Amino acid sequence: MTEAPIEAALPESSSSSSVEQNRQFAHLRGVQWRINLGILPSSSIDDLRRVTADSRRRYAGMRRRLLVDPHIPKDGSNSPNLVMDNPLSLNPDSTWGRFFRNAELEKMVDQDLSRLYPEHGSYFQTPGCQGMLRRILLLWCLRHPEYGYRQGMHELLAPLLYVLQVDVEHLSQVRKLYEDQFTDKFDDLSFLDNDLTYNFDFKKSPDIMEDENGSHGNVTKVRSLDELDPEIQTIVLLSDAYGAEGELGIVLSEKFMEHDAYCMLDALMSGAHGSVAMADFFSPTPAGGSYTGLPPVLEASAALYHLLSLVDSSLHSHLVELGVEPQYFALRWLRVLFGREFSLEDLLIIWDEIFASDNSILDKVAEDDTMSSFGVLNSPRGAFISAMAVSMLLYLRSSLLATEHATSCLQRLLNFPETVNLKKLIEKAKSLQALALSANMSSSSSSLGGALNWSKSAAVRGHSLSSDSVSPKTPLNLVPESYWEEKWRVLHKAEELEKSDSTKQVQTPKRGWTEKVRLSLSRTGSSPAKVESGKKDSNSSVKRSLLEDLSRELGSDEDTEKAHCDEVLSQKNSVCVEVEVEGQDGGKKEITCTAEGSLSGNAGSEENLSVYSDPTSYLNGANDQENDSEKSSVASTSSLEESDDHSSTIPDESPLPVSDNPKDVFPKSGLNNDSMGNSLTVPKERKLLSGKFQWFWKFGRNAAGEGTSEKGGGTFEATKSANCENDQDNTAGFLVANASCNSSISGKGDATDQNVMGTLRNLGQSMLDHIQVIETAFQQDRGQVGSLENLSKNGLVGKGQVTAVAALKELRKISNLLSEM
Amino acid sequence: MEVHDYLKTLCPDLHITRGEYDEEMRYPETKTLTIGQFKLGLCHGHQVIPWGDLDSLAMLQRQLDVDILVTGHTHQFTAYKHEGGVVINPGSATGAYSSITYDVNPSFVLMDIDGLRVVVYVYELIDGEVKVDKIDFKKTTTASH
Repeated sequence: MTEAPIEAALPESSSSSSVEQNRQFAHLRGVQWRINLGILPSSSIDDLRRVTADSRRRYAGMRRRLLVDPHIPKDGSNSPNLVMDNPLSLNPDSTWGRFFRNAELEKMVDQDLSRLYPEHGSYFQTPGCQGMLRRILLLWCLRHPEYGYRQGMHELLAPLLYVLQVDVEHLSQVRKLYEDQFTDKFDDLSFLDNDLTYNFDFKKSPDIMEDENGSHGNVTKVRSLDELDPEIQTIVLLSDAYGAEGELGIVLSEKFMEHDAYCMLDALMSGAHGSVAMADFFSPTPAGGSYTGLPPVLEASAALYHLLSLVDSSLHSHLVELGVEPQYFALRWLRVLFGREFSLEDLLIIWDEIFASDNSILDKVAEDDTMSSFGVLNSPRGAFISAMAVSMLLYLRSSLLATEHATSCLQRLLNFPETVNLKKLIEKAKSLQALALSANMSSSSSSLGGALNWSKSAAVRGHSLSSDSVSPKTPLNLVPESYWEEKWRVLHKAEELEKSDSTKQVQTPKRGWTEKVRLSLSRTGSSPAKVESGKKDSNSSVKRSLLEDLSRELGSDEDTEKAHCDEVLSQKNSVCVEVEVEGQDGGKKEITCTAEGSLSGNAGSEENLSVYSDPTSYLNGANDQENDSEKSSVASTSSLEESDDHSSTIPDESPLPVSDNPKDVFPKSGLNNDSMGNSLTVPKERKLLSGKFQWFWKFGRNAAGEGTSEKGGGTFEATKSANCENDQDNTAGFLVANASCNSSISGKGDATDQNVMGTLRNLGQSMLDHIQVIETAFQQDRGQVGSLENLSKNGLVGKGQVTAVAALKELRKISNLLSEM
Repeated sequence: MEVHDYLKTLCPDLHITRGEYDEEMRYPETKTLTIGQFKLGLCHGHQVIPWGDLDSLAMLQRQLDVDILVTGHTHQFTAYKHEGGVVINPGSATGAYSSITYDVNPSFVLMDIDGLRVVVYVYELIDGEVKVDKIDFKKTTTASH
């Protein structure tokens, strides 16, 4: 794989050179961005000037050609062919025709321009600026008729013009301060305007000629160029009217702002032979080399979600379940490069970072012959863009997870908070950028197929589950077959360790409870019904999210630690799990982290994958709960063992095709209820409820530190069946179990560990929180603010609803009990 | 009335003066309006005798104090530059019969008024072919009388 080292080398070298570039023109954003966009070379000042001049000439020529004014008769045309060239002519070549077409475009552009940045209207709404923007946009659209004018292009252009303006203003300030540097110099001699006589000292002149920088001859207050700040030096050199290419080469020039802005826009839109071409985001047709067959915007949105699933699977699955397709918000984010989400000053900082990333296409390290899957974002710049978007999503994580409606999610996403810790956001984005790059490079065609499936089925509700199930197969592919065998071996080894652990005593009081739980659940689990693996998938994903939430509330993990873990693990392969588990003496936190790693790595809940990720979810939950207690290692291994046994039972069940099932899920749940409107909320509630069942169950099992495969399988099936059917019986049964648990626990209260009490209390608290979530969901659904008792009187309420409400009340009581302990 | 409505659908900005056989009494005899830098006058022309006579029309132009006078009635296209002003007769758009003109060719006129300059495009249907002609006219900045 000789390509790989080269790939590794190139980005490094480019990044180092770009760092230099950044330092060189850090104070002149206009110049810096032009270098980053590939318009200007990053070499000497003279080269800069020459390239600038060339680009300006091109623009001027183009403008003369394309912006026609048929009023003005063409020079040298004596008798224009009036049959063709009259205003009513339908001839496409007629100047009048072009004029009217331009006028149409102008009208569209003006509509947008009049609403551009009203908060900075003092600059953007001036006729001069508007005229420039209009002409630039018009010319670009005329040159690229296949795109036409789309709303958003003006918002891409505006900051470009703005930074040029800022540069020019900076120049005028410098000019005022350093007037002497800007006087006309002939042969490096400076003649001051107020110097009436040439005090030309012939004796000194040869020395002066040799002296490259300013003259030391006549006036002492003239400083040499070298003595100045390097910043000021560059400004002077860039705006010297006698440098290379003369006036046309003055890089910071007000006269040619329009020309420069056009060049910047063109480079930004076309991507300058790089990967990210903004114009693609405006086109409805798939890009040429795309294998997904999707419009680039959708492709990029899919890439975004893919990255999110790698980083934070719970948030990803939450959004997917709610039906929040990424393009709902990502369209706006991507098309104007976050221009609408941040203030102008913040945006400039973000764009600094975006442009600093190189835009060259990364060749895919070929595992198979297919081209890169998410081709639109296949460059460091693209990676940064998607990383930035994911970082923004993570910023809103808590509020997104709290909502249960797609609309409120979208509301949150489309109204990004005003005051944002931008630095943190960007740092997070940078750390995710590397992940994004590796994710892009290693994603195979299967994940491509997954994304394709997902996007194509986006129209149908409920297919989000199928997406969840088929999307990133990547981690699975990367994991060799022997991985699972090794895991099994590891578990056995851990089991032996567990037996020698002295803290087994503490587990005994819990045993009775868990036994009772298990028994009651298996009792109530009558007909397991069909194995809706699709539903199971969603369950597991919600479970995971609940687990993580709860564990976060409970656990000693702080956010930073977790974040650190996230970042650490995101780099690692999921294969690391086995290594870490073996080294149990090592920090428990590490185990947590890697478990999470494998968890979030296996974000897609494929049939097999979900099975294996369930164990890790248990592992996660167990670990985070018991972190303060010494039982963590034991618990983790025990649950691993349990779940591994359990996982072996799952394949015994008839494996139904995952993609078909989700179709059944929602209509089925719809049938279960009388009112279709509740169909969505009820399954969710059920999932939450069942999630809680799972949670309790796992807690008990982990505390007990033992488990048999049959029972494990049985309870899982039982809880699963609890999901499938009406909850009534199961709820009642479980409540019985809970009540008995409580009594048993309180009975043995003195014997239990202090930590356990604390965890129980927290448990109760978190239960309360979740109950509140469900209740609010109910109330929202009903549209009533009244108490829950009213619900039963509502004629539309299905039987399941009422009992679910009753179950909620019971749960509330339990949680109160727990929290009092 | 139907024609009026039809024309309104083409362009809501419609100015009409009364013709010889118009039964609609509400149309004025003459009308003046300002477009850009130009003052335009509108009159059907049957009131000005002799019909189509330049001097008489010039009198009307002075009377209305307009730069451009648009008349009709003769069903024949004519355009005169006269005393710092323009008198235009676009002819008949439909080629309707006229007792004073033989062989009426359908014609109409498009005026492009741009600041101090007006370009007149004349479209005539002669022998089944559309012929286009152009007349330039620049308004002198001196006050016209």
